[in-house]
Amino acid sequence: MPEDRAKSRGLLSEEETRRDFLTRIGVGACVVTGVGAAFTLLDYMEPKVLFEPPTLFRAGNLNDFPEGTVRFNEEQKTYILGAAGGGVYALSAVCTHLGCITRYLSSEGVIACPCHGSRFDLEGNVVHGPAPHPLPWLEVKADASGNLLVDTGRTIPHGKVLKV
Amino acid sequence: MSQPTPPLELVESSDPIVTPRRVALVRPDLRPSVRREDERWVMTFPHLILRELILFMAVVIALSLIALIFDAPLEGIANPLETPNPSKAPWYFLGLQELLHYFPPVVAGVLIPGLVVVALAVIPYARINLSAGPLWSGDERKIRTWVGLVTAMLTILFAGFRCWPIVVPTLAVAGAMFAAYKGTEGGRFRRFLVGVTLPEWIMTWFIVVATLLTVIGTFFRGPGWSLVWPWNMHLPV
Amino acid sequence: MSGTALANLADWIRDSSVYRSIVRHGSADTNRNRSLVIFENLFLHVHPVKVREKTLRFTHTFWLGGITLVSSIILFATGILLMFYYHPSVPQAYIDMKELQFVVDNGVWLRNLHRWSAHLMVFGSFLHLIRVFYHRAYRPPRQFNWVIGVVLLLLTLLLSYTGYLLPWDQLAFWGVSVGTNMAKEAPLIGKPLRFLLLGGNIVSENALLRFYVLHCVVLPVAFILFLSVHIWRIRKDGGVQGPPEDPSAEKGAP
Repeated sequence: MPEDRAKSRGLLSEEETRRDFLTRIGVGACVVTGVGAAFTLLDYMEPKVLFEPPTLFRAGNLNDFPEGTVRFNEEQKTYILGAAGGGVYALSAVCTHLGCITRYLSSEGVIACPCHGSRFDLEGNVVHGPAPHPLPWLEVKADASGNLLVDTGRTIPHGKVLKV
Repeated sequence: MSQPTPPLELVESSDPIVTPRRVALVRPDLRPSVRREDERWVMTFPHLILRELILFMAVVIALSLIALIFDAPLEGIANPLETPNPSKAPWYFLGLQELLHYFPPVVAGVLIPGLVVVALAVIPYARINLSAGPLWSGDERKIRTWVGLVTAMLTILFAGFRCWPIVVPTLAVAGAMFAAYKGTEGGRFRRFLVGVTLPEWIMTWFIVVATLLTVIGTFFRGPGWSLVWPWNMHLPV
Repeated sequence: MSGTALANLADWIRDSSVYRSIVRHGSADTNRNRSLVIFENLFLHVHPVKVREKTLRFTHTFWLGGITLVSSIILFATGILLMFYYHPSVPQAYIDMKELQFVVDNGVWLRNLHRWSAHLMVFGSFLHLIRVFYHRAYRPPRQFNWVIGVVLLLLTLLLSYTGYLLPWDQLAFWGVSVGTNMAKEAPLIGKPLRFLLLGGNIVSENALLRFYVLHCVVLPVAFILFLSVHIWRIRKDGGVQGPPEDPSAEKGAP
């Protein structure tokens, strides 16, 4: 009999009837449908195109940044600084605590956040306040003539200054 | 009846004729509809319906008057490049924002609110809440030790983070708990305190802490989240 | 018209076959008819036909659940009216707020009413939770209703939070920025959750639209569903429970 053959192949357990088997398949199909629907919904909700400002931007020329300069690009929320000993680096101006925009206080030589009082030195290290991480260093590239290209979407290791 | 009823005896037997299977056991926590005493019942219409209508009208009128007098705030248009100082969340989140001052965002923003929600949700399933007698019933020395120990641990933990808005209420509530311990003599208030159960003490502690954090965050925090007097909230122009 | 003429008119209407086809019970001057007022009405028949007299007292529950419910009804009504003048886009949303303030008749009052009812609803929910706790009205068989209540509290806070962004002013924008940055800190799901919620990496018009849909459709529907179950369960558990009824039986051994 077909049931005996199925049993001998180990496909049907001793007690399971045809009804149980079909029920199992039916429920399984519903579960698969449910999981598939959930993932499809999640995928639908995820935006594929973002109309946000591009992360790559031009930032002038290497020669514009002698040692000790601090320039703030408001739209890109980035500080571009002239490093001690020559070279250029870029810091994100977004406070690592909760995302407020920091401000550079030239009189005190620190970068301060208005929201909860976090303070950073000019290398992005936290000197005061609740910020948990230092300000990230952003990728800076230069072309042959020294024109700078900053990418706010890419972070680089702390301290990696772009030199000529 | 000529004979007094014999005393009730609990008999266990599987013989359905000797011992009937269905026994009604009335426990104190049974639904009120079964535990029907001699209560007065009145018709829903009009008694309840009219009260609901009156409540509806009273709230609408009260809110309408408030809406006529007090304006909802509207600041300048949203500017992603300029963070106002201070930038505060809505009042019901200001307690959390105050907590952010003392703890890292993972703790203050995710861990603590998560724990609070879970703790609230399991209240009806925790045995301590269902069977609570007054705090000081039972082994008084053991309770004293536990209360003292937990208070000390909480105080040390939060003082370590310099979170005074939690330390102070902890000490105050612990003080009230011990004040209730000092015997049953004393006025009505003392006797009321004696009857407070442990879950009620815990909830009271939680409410005081949450209220204090919210009040500080709302009225006493100014630019840079610094401590200010409420009248100094905004920098002079 | 004199009093009796009005009374006669009312009687004439009540006796008409059109009226009697709509209201199918007699006037509520017998207990039977008072029962039918509740029993035959879709909206009223979540009530039992009779209630225990002591549950009617103000001090029984301080009517806090009722206050919260009334605020939510006001929020639905004012919210729908506000929707007629609001576009969830940038910068139109802010312009619409100004329009409501200066151009629309009663716009200021309507928006204020919406805002203050929201505060009352949040505050009322907390007070209601506290009242139910201290009355120990979460004990069996009401345990799961308490959990539903906690869910309702979370929905209320979420409704308030999503609504907070809609004016698109500095208060709204930065309040939501800080909040979503906090959400990002959750382990594993934090960053993807924030990305889905905002529809991007920053608070932008995508975020506004998503919050708008959440605030006006998803969360209200969820709220109504949970609220219905919440009220239904109160009915099934025998009505609202106020102060524990027998102090000596409630406290002490289980």
